[in-house]
Amino acid sequence: MSSAEAQRFVDIVKTVTESIVQQGPFDAGAYPLALRAAEMTLNSEVVRWLAGKEVRITRRGDVYGRSWETERLEKVMDDVLEREYQKNLIYLAIGEGAVSVREISAATGLALMRVSYLLTDLEKTNRVEFKGMHDRKPVFGVL
Amino acid sequence: MTAFEPKIVAFLCNWCAYAGADLAGVSRFQYPASIRTVRVMCSGRVDPLFVVQALQRGADGVLVAG
Repeated sequence: MSSAEAQRFVDIVKTVTESIVQQGPFDAGAYPLALRAAEMTLNSEVVRWLAGKEVRITRRGDVYGRSWETERLEKVMDDVLEREYQKNLIYLAIGEGAVSVREISAATGLALMRVSYLLTDLEKTNRVEFKGMHDRKPVFGVL
Repeated sequence: MTAFEPKIVAFLCNWCAYAGADLAGVSRFQYPASIRTVRVMCSGRVDPLFVVQALQRGADGVLVAG
């Protein structure tokens, strides 16, 4: 909006307030894992680097000289965000005591396959370690 | 019980939305007292982290206006 649009500002504040009133109070305590994971994701090196390079990559191309459409790069950013978010959810869930794949899946709502796939990634980057077998199930710990 | 009065953190750009809010005040327009304004020098300055952190610290909603 422009600085002259006082009426527009008032309308926007009214619309937003009405919408929030309809959605009801937000209880941050109800989503401890999700909010922490979102914060960690937005703060992560890979996301920050990618966001910082967006203009350079779409205007001048990547280091291999390939050009990128904005939409295609945004698709990649969405995938990276989703993946990092899910990895952080798993990391936090393990910290909270969900140590087997099944427990992690129950705590995060992610499919079993997805959890074990992302666990390999977390192990590679030394954020999670395989602790051994417990009751014939592999258990993990955070590093 | 009184009606739900949300807490909305509003990130307003110094050059547009903040000036608009200022003008709304000077013009004595009525608007809900639900917003808590944070003036930023550009709405591009607003990091998505601010949004998450505002929600973590008790905001019911976040408004970014530029």
